[in-house]
Order: sequence, then structure tokens, then C-alpha cells
Amino acid sequence: MNTLTKLIARWRVQAYLDFMWMTRDFRFFFINIVSDIILNLAGVAAVFLLAERFQGIGPWSRDQIVFLLGYAALVRGLLDMGFSYNVLHISRRIGRGQMDHLLVQPQPLWMGLLAEGFMPFSGSWSLIAGMGITAWAIHQLGMALTASWWLIFFCNLVASCAIVLAFSFAWGSLAFWAPVAAEEISSRAVNFMYQLKSFPLDGLSAFMLANMLTVLPVGFVAWYPCRQLLGIAPSHLWHTPLVAMVFSLIAWVAFKKGMQHYEQTGSQRYLGWGHRS
Amino acid sequence: MFAKHLKTVVMVATRSLDDKGWVIVGGYGLRLLRVVFLLSLWRVLLPETGEVSGMTRDAVLTYTLIAEVFAGQISVRTGLDNALWHGDIANRFLRPVGIYGQFIAEMFGTGLPNLVMFSLPLFCMAPLLGVDPLPEGGVAGGLFLCSLILGIAIGAAFDFIFASLMVLLEQNVYALMQIRDAISVLLSGAIIPLALMPWGIGNVLVYLPFASLASAPLRIYTGTGDPAFLIGLQAVWAIVLWPVAHRLWNANRERLVSHGG
Amino acid sequence: MNKPGRNATSAGDIAVKLSEVDKIFYQRQRSEKIQDVFKNLFRPNIREIRALQKVDLRIRRGEIVAYAGPNGAGKSTTVKLLSSVLAPTSGSVQCLGMNPMKDRVQYVKRIGVVFGQRTELWWDQPVAASFEWKRVVWEIPRARYDAMLGFVKDLLGIGEFFNSLARQLSLGQKMRADLALMLMHEPEILFLDEPTIGVDVLAKRNILDFIKNLNREKGVTVMITSHDMDELEQLAGRIVMIDKGRIAFDGDFRQLRRQFGDRRHLTIETASTSPPRISGVQFIGSKGNRHHFTFDAAQTPIPTLLAQVQTRIHDIETHRMPIDDVIADMYEHWDANREGVRE
Repeated sequence: MNTLTKLIARWRVQAYLDFMWMTRDFRFFFINIVSDIILNLAGVAAVFLLAERFQGIGPWSRDQIVFLLGYAALVRGLLDMGFSYNVLHISRRIGRGQMDHLLVQPQPLWMGLLAEGFMPFSGSWSLIAGMGITAWAIHQLGMALTASWWLIFFCNLVASCAIVLAFSFAWGSLAFWAPVAAEEISSRAVNFMYQLKSFPLDGLSAFMLANMLTVLPVGFVAWYPCRQLLGIAPSHLWHTPLVAMVFSLIAWVAFKKGMQHYEQTGSQRYLGWGHRS
Repeated sequence: MFAKHLKTVVMVATRSLDDKGWVIVGGYGLRLLRVVFLLSLWRVLLPETGEVSGMTRDAVLTYTLIAEVFAGQISVRTGLDNALWHGDIANRFLRPVGIYGQFIAEMFGTGLPNLVMFSLPLFCMAPLLGVDPLPEGGVAGGLFLCSLILGIAIGAAFDFIFASLMVLLEQNVYALMQIRDAISVLLSGAIIPLALMPWGIGNVLVYLPFASLASAPLRIYTGTGDPAFLIGLQAVWAIVLWPVAHRLWNANRERLVSHGG
Repeated sequence: MNKPGRNATSAGDIAVKLSEVDKIFYQRQRSEKIQDVFKNLFRPNIREIRALQKVDLRIRRGEIVAYAGPNGAGKSTTVKLLSSVLAPTSGSVQCLGMNPMKDRVQYVKRIGVVFGQRTELWWDQPVAASFEWKRVVWEIPRARYDAMLGFVKDLLGIGEFFNSLARQLSLGQKMRADLALMLMHEPEILFLDEPTIGVDVLAKRNILDFIKNLNREKGVTVMITSHDMDELEQLAGRIVMIDKGRIAFDGDFRQLRRQFGDRRHLTIETASTSPPRISGVQFIGSKGNRHHFTFDAAQTPIPTLLAQVQTRIHDIETHRMPIDDVIADMYEHWDANREGVRE
């Protein structure tokens, strides 16, 4: 079996598990959908309200802001769907001593991580909300979209997701050394990205902007690619994928170093919560 | 009399300082960047002089900075939801201390290190960020403290009500915690002052109990609201919500233990 | 289990081989004083813990080995080294002819691990769903999966709760389900870290019977840790005792008893309520005219003891000390030795 076939088989079984989980009772199913939609809308509401109140923010019109919000919601939606069960919040798994579960599975670690967080049913509501917001913004803006635009759009979207994931893994790797203090560090890093991802960064000082595009790559989650997709700034549409590659490399090195440390020290604590539940 | 509570406060406060210092410092770094970012955003949106919906740019900047300084107090958490989520609520009933007292002590214990290690330095460095951190006047500062305490009381009541509802509905604690956080942050005015919301919705939100958590004390601090009205409204909500919290809590106590334990 | 061809890759008859294994951990020490907060944060005291020291251990294929020791002795660390979770600080770990760390993916396909306080079941899913997940991730062919599922359902009786949510199971049911899940890929060797912790006596007996059957019928090698010595004595022919990271005893249970003398319990019923004076015994207490003693039968034969009793004897009972008491004495002896060395 080649690697891709194996991965698809794992995704299929995760999809089955997710479907079983979500449909176990209707009330639960309903609350789950509503909570995801509320969460996503609440995440973008603040910026939308500001854009509405001030008829845009900086060089962004209100409808362009809505596109930015849609893009940001799509990023979150994809991550919710693909990296649940604390895969995105990896420091929780590390800090709680739950990496052992992955290590006794007969598959490379990356495959386990890529497969275990896949929740295509219960995790898809944010994605659907994001699709709705983006479609509405595209309609409002009257954009004429070509196949190449869509290709670039999807490349950037995947790259933005990879940046959030890599950022979480790079920070989350600290939990290998400080399992208690850093247990929630991925969540803090991801929340930081999520809280600021929908804001336009145009008014920041050069120093802050440099920070937001390098050390803390919030700008690449939505603002930078959207500026170019909407033609607000000169088109450098390969920047976000390039940054994604750099951050993925950093995350890979940090995580690998952390795993080497973990092999030596293991985890002196084990907490069952949040694991497969 | 309060020795037990004080010991709990110390235990909880030192628990969060139990690991590597640089991790804690890193977390505070992220919070600092978030404040700087929000301050920059207001500088883009608001004119340097004049007022927008009764607020000057300087007042909004102070509002934003103080919201972050007292973030732990205006979005107060007793830890009750976590006790439910982790399933150790039953242990709390085995301690010879009242339940409310335990959780409130834990709430102070959690907030204390942040107050000392982040809030105080942030307050002191506010001038470096171009923000005047001082209240509108001495009276406003005193009234702010009263309002903040009332806000904390209302937040704690919310926690107990919400926990009881979670158990009553037998629903996914984590999802409900998330919803509650998302909604209360938005509706409390902790990020956007209610006066700056469109369509006049801020005028409605101001009457909801969420506004008592953040908007009321921050408006008093910045001198952009009528203290008598705001504190009066907070007192009404505290008087209404605590009996509700107490009643719901007692009604669900047995289910709480079997659910959380 | 023992599928043809698998043995070809292993080193002869030895399933597990630990050579000169050291494992060192570092633990932060924290003072409880408020004034030490910043020291705790930035310059904490670090304590070195030698979890394993020069451990040499061989386990033959088809053996059941009990691995015991006091809390913190290094039992779980050893199991983690053998489960590819931890690497040794020095020395070598070989199992089934492989290096667990280097050959992890291939290796874990051939072993089964159960940690008593953890579960591999998906918590909010029916037990059946976890088995389906296992089939895919372990790449178990459908026919073998179906056959094994029938086998473990029969043997462990998991059919009755196979469609229940994992979180609704009792501890005993959960452990049976975990054991069954572990067996689905037909491992050649099992590492069981306190598999009966918290389960009731009936469930415990079922689990032990199951492990014995599995070993007898399929030749599966088993390494099991527990604090319940009676349980280990029922199950294993060989016991390895570990103390402070060093192997302190390796042999069978008879040898273990002999090493610490043949400790026995003696009850004498006499006409008097005051205990008889006997040398070479330790007096425990009297209840009416029944008097309780312990003694070492290897040092003092029973007839020698009875000859010393001056009053009329109504009844005598003698029996071996329970293994738990032998082990408790042993731990006490080890502790006393350490104190002696320190002084």
C-alpha cells in the first residue's frame, strides 16, 4: 500500500468515527452545529461591526473586509475540520503525556497526526460558514473570477492553514520541555492568531508590521493574501506559500528536537482528558 | 476565618508558576503584542482630535489598555467550568470550605500572578505606548474599583448559572464554554466599546448583564459614562443574578456531582 | 500469533534483551515558599533521578515474567523502553531482534501494550468503532480481523458491551476491551503495566485466566507489572524484582520465599490465656487462648518450637506467609539497608 492510499484509508475511518460521534443524539448534533457557527461568527463579528461603523477600515472597503473575514473563516474552518482532537493544539497532547498513544501505533508520527484530527462532519460547520461569507463578499464585490484566480486562491488558503499549524507546532514544541507551563501554549498561540487574523494590518508601524509578518506571522493568515487577491496591493501571490514552507520547516525542526527530547525524558505526567474525547 | 481561602489563593497562584519562566514570559509577550496591535487599529480608525460617539481617541486608547490590564477581572472565570470539564467537581464537596468560597479563592489565585507579572508592568509602560493610563480623576478611579468588584461578582454569578445550565442540558461542556466566552467578550464591550458599534446596538447592549462585566467599569474609568447609572445597573444585575445562580446551583447540585465526578 | 516467518528475524530464543541499560531523568524541585517564586521560575533546583541502573534482563519466548517492585522502582520506565516510547540513556534495548526506537513502526506491529491507567479506546465512541479504527491503522487483513474478533469476543466476553460507548463501561469492562483491542493484530509479546489496577476480584480472575490461556495456547510472551503479588504468583513462573532502578531478584517464587527465609505463621491454642514462652519466634498477639507467632521454618523446625511449649496444647495451625507479606518484608529490608548505608 502506498502512503497516499494508507492516508486515505485512515481518513475514511476517521470520517466514520466522526459521523458516529456526531449523530449519537440529535440534541448534541444540533448544539454542535450551532456552537460552531456562533463561534465562527463571533470571531469575525468585531471586525465586521467596526467596518460597518466606519464604512471600511483604512484602504479596505466594507465588502473587501467581508471577503477578508470570509477568507479568515475558511482558514479556521479547514483547520477545525482537519486538525481536531488537539492536533492543532498539540501542546496539550504533549503536556498531558498523550504522545505515547501515537508512538505505539504502527505508522509514522506525521501520518498519525494528519489522520487523527480529521472530522469532516462535526468539524465542517465553520468551513460552511466561511464559504457562505466568502461567496457573499465575492457577490457584493462583483468580482470576475478566472480559473487561475481560484487556483491561486486555494494555494494561498492552504498555505495560510499551514502557517497557523506550523506556528502552533513550533510554539507547542516547548511543551516537550515544560509540560505544565506550556500545556496551553499552542492554544494561546492559535488564539492569538485567530483573534487578530481578521483585522487589516495596514495601520501598524513598520516595526509591528515586520513582527506580524515574520516572528508572529498573523499577517499571512488572511490580511496579506487577501490584499493581493483583491488587488489592494501589488501582486506577490507566491509569498504566502513561501512563508508557509519556511514556517513548516521551522516547526518540523522544533518538533523533531522536541521528540528527541521526549524519547529521553518521556512524560512524567499523564492526563486522560481531551484525548479522543 | 479566611485562612483556608488565603491558603487556596496561594496554592493556585503558585501552581501556575510551577514551570519554566520563559514560557510564562512568552505568553505575556503575546498579550502585549495584542494590545499594541489593538491600539494601532484605533489610531487608524479614529481621528486624532474630536469625538466619535462621545469618545475621543485618547479615551478609547485608555479604554483598550485598561481592558487588557484588568482582563482577568473583567472576563472573570471561577474555574467551575474546568472543574466540570475535568470531572473533579465531586472533590470540592469533600473539602471543609464552602463551594462559593473555594471557587472564588481559586479565581483570585489564578488572577494574582497575571496582575503582578503582566498587568502592573503594562500599566507602568503605558506612556511608552502613547497611552495615558490614569483614570479620569480620583473619584472616577475609586468608583471604577467599586464597579470592577460588582463586575467580578456578576461574572462569578454567570459562571455558576452557566455551569448549572450545562449540567441541566447535559451538553458538551467544552463547546458551551467556548460559546459563552465568544459571546461575552463581544457583548461585554471588552474589545470594542459599545458606543462605537453600528446601528446603535450599543445603546441596547448597555442594558444587558454582559455590559456590567467590562463596559461599565471601563466607561467609568475613562469618564465616558455616568457612574451612578452604570453602578446602579450593575447592582441591579448582581441582585438579580446571584439568587438565580444560588437557586440553579442548589437545584442541580446532585446532578453536578454525578455529572462532574 | 507466532506466525511463520516472524521468528526468522528475531535473535533465537530470546524475546527481550536489555543490556547494561541506564535511564536518567531530571526533576525540578520547588520550594513552597512565596519568596522563592522567582528562583523556582528561573533557577530551580534540579534533581537527578536514576530510574534504571545497569539493568540486564533476558526474557525467553513463551515466558510469562512478573516484573515487580515498590513505587518508583523503575517498572513503568522499563515497559516504556520496551514499548518504543522512551530511549535508554545508555545501554541497549533489543526486543524480537529489533531496536524499538529505530524500528518503531515495524516493531509496534508485533507487540501489544496495555497501561492500566490509560485506554486506547475512543472515549465517546462505541467499543466497536475503536476496533474498526484499529483494523485500519494496524492494517489487519479483513479475514484475520474477523477471525480475531470472534476469538477475543469469546475469550474476553466483550460481546455484551461491544456496542456501548467506551465511557459508559466499568473499569473491568474497559480493561477487557483494551486487552481485546491490543490482541487484534496478534502480537508476539505483551507488555502489561498494571492491567488489573482498580478492577474487582472476578474481573481480575477473568483477566488472569485469559493471559494464562493466551500464553499456553498461542505461546505469547508476557511481561506483566503489578503490585498484587498473589496475582503475579498465580500467573508467572518467574519474577524479576526491581528496586531503585536495579534488579534485586530474578528467579521463581519458591526461590524468592527461600531468599527471605521460609516465613510462616504459627497459631497455638493452649489452656492458658497467657502466651507460651518460645525462643526463635516473634510474638504477634493473643486472642483468648489462641496465640499468634511468626517464625522462619528454615532456621527453626516446628518440632523444636513445640518442644519448648510447657502448657497443654489444644490445637496448632501453621501456614506460609502470604507472598504479599514476604514482599513487604523484602521492601522493608531494602529500605533498612539503604538507611544503613546512608548512616
